[in-house]
Amino acid sequence: MMTLLLQTSVLDINYVAIWPMIILSISGIAVLLFGIAKDPVHRDMSMIGIVGFVLAGVATGRLWLPVKTVGQIRAFSNMVIIDHFSLYFFFIFIIIGLLTLLISASFLEAERLPVGEFYSLVMFAVVGMMLMAAAGHLVMIFLGLEIASISTYALAGYRRNDLRSNESAIKYFVLGSAATAFLLYGMALIYGATGSAELEGIRTAIIDNVNAATKQPVHTELLFLGAAMMLVGFSFKVSAVPFHLWTPDVYEGAPSSVTAFMATASKAAAFAAFLRVFVFCFVPGYGQGLHSAWTTSLETIAILTMIAGNIAALTQHNFKRMLAYSSIAHAGYALVGLIADDWQAVAFYLLTYSITNIGAFGLITYLAGRGDRETEIDDLAGLGFNNLGVSIAMLILLLSLAGIPLTAGFMGKFIVFKAAWQKGFHVAVIVAVVTSAVSVYYYLRPMVIMFFRELKVEPKRLPLPTGVLVTVVLSILGTFYLGVMPGRLFQAMENAKVSFVQSR
Amino acid sequence: MNGQEILSYVPILMMFLVSLAIATGMVVSSSLFGQKVKSREKLMPYECGKDPVGSARERFSVKFYMVALMFILFDIEAIFFVPWAVVFRKMAEVYSKAFVFLEMLVFIAVLLVGYIYVWKKGILDWK
Repeated sequence: MMTLLLQTSVLDINYVAIWPMIILSISGIAVLLFGIAKDPVHRDMSMIGIVGFVLAGVATGRLWLPVKTVGQIRAFSNMVIIDHFSLYFFFIFIIIGLLTLLISASFLEAERLPVGEFYSLVMFAVVGMMLMAAAGHLVMIFLGLEIASISTYALAGYRRNDLRSNESAIKYFVLGSAATAFLLYGMALIYGATGSAELEGIRTAIIDNVNAATKQPVHTELLFLGAAMMLVGFSFKVSAVPFHLWTPDVYEGAPSSVTAFMATASKAAAFAAFLRVFVFCFVPGYGQGLHSAWTTSLETIAILTMIAGNIAALTQHNFKRMLAYSSIAHAGYALVGLIADDWQAVAFYLLTYSITNIGAFGLITYLAGRGDRETEIDDLAGLGFNNLGVSIAMLILLLSLAGIPLTAGFMGKFIVFKAAWQKGFHVAVIVAVVTSAVSVYYYLRPMVIMFFRELKVEPKRLPLPTGVLVTVVLSILGTFYLGVMPGRLFQAMENAKVSFVQSR
Repeated sequence: MNGQEILSYVPILMMFLVSLAIATGMVVSSSLFGQKVKSREKLMPYECGKDPVGSARERFSVKFYMVALMFILFDIEAIFFVPWAVVFRKMAEVYSKAFVFLEMLVFIAVLLVGYIYVWKKGILDWK
């Protein structure tokens, strides 16, 4: 296997490096083909989906050790870079994709929606996200982003007879395309300024102040303009504050399991690309103050995001809308890690946030009931008497989102805030701590309604579907594991190998 | 921009001129030599077989979109054959010819899956 990995040639075709993506693509196609059979069996398709994700996880795991010895695997003429950074994000995407399949199975069955297309769209979206995390070239980031976004646009409108779902898809599509245009323009300008579209080439051009194509000094104005454009595009994708307005509407209208996927995996993918470009390429000390320019603007964006997200969440009556604003606020916390140049902190934060949030959304898919309709916070009234297990699970997950000690949410925030404090971003950290204290209020409100308010109508809820049960149990276990003993994961991340960061 | 660089744009200018010549040539020669049948349909502005004058709120079948989408998909994917054909020899020097050929077969197989999907979904079935 090693010889195959190290093989280099003109085109550098290396299938071992992209095995996880190949497996997911093939199983996505297989599910799609199963879905058009005469009478498709739901169980079989779920099985293919689960096996596909598990195999992709195994393939990702098998890449971990080779990367540890070699440092990184580059494939397809530096288009794809497999290092510990990309593998770590692969794991996040695979876990979230798998759990999304599990929570959506019962919903798709109850709504009589086609299953094959849904599963394959989720899998293709995950492939796109992996390409974003493993991109070594601006074009690859763009391609991955498009694969992931187009799949999620279609998923958001999956309940096509429902007006809210349509509205969500159209809004997401129109606004998402506008943001992608910004991103693409930024990429073009950066290519013009540095003469290279390869991430490492951009980095070298900025450090040496030499345009790779013309051998003249880097055009600073173009570079800054391009970086600003990309900042706007990525801020939109992670729903940071001046560019967040689409988030509540899209998250509210999309099917709950799709919202879960968008709020976790899509956001993590956008952060992965964000980190690759900004933290790894726009390094401190070079480029005529480019680094301080983007950190200062992102610091402002992060502070605005945390304040606006948390305060808007206070006034929400709809559970999904509240979690949408909460996800905006969480993007703000992750941005605090991003400005501290600490990819480990951001990646760990995204893992804790995703694991917790997917469980919370899994419970929402169950509680929303038929037609995905009962998503008001008041609909939870009396759930504590009626269904103690579900309410306690919800309690734990919401407390983790609020960042109470012993849970993953606390650990994630702690790591991020510590990193930012050490780098001297004191204002941002203070705002982050104060706003997370404020956030406890809106996370506790559903609790109060669940446990201390009378049951209005006897709800006709079905037993908890197995998929949702498994997801919630895994999510709670993950929450406690990451919250109580994250030591091993930290160790792995400390020793992680990342391409072209240590090279200078 | 120096003279050398501007000179490198000359082929593009030539392409513009040639395409302009072809386009005007076609229109002019057909109006000079072509036979003219003046029926109502022939005199209408061409709009994909639809009457272009009238209410804009007319409904028409979603199948038009389906066909248009399929055309765009297969048309664009077929374009990818061209770069492959161009680099075939160079690639075959590094890898074996069979491998390079197989790569394209994989691509066609993926296209074929899309075709089967479209077919089974009944998009080609116009009843």
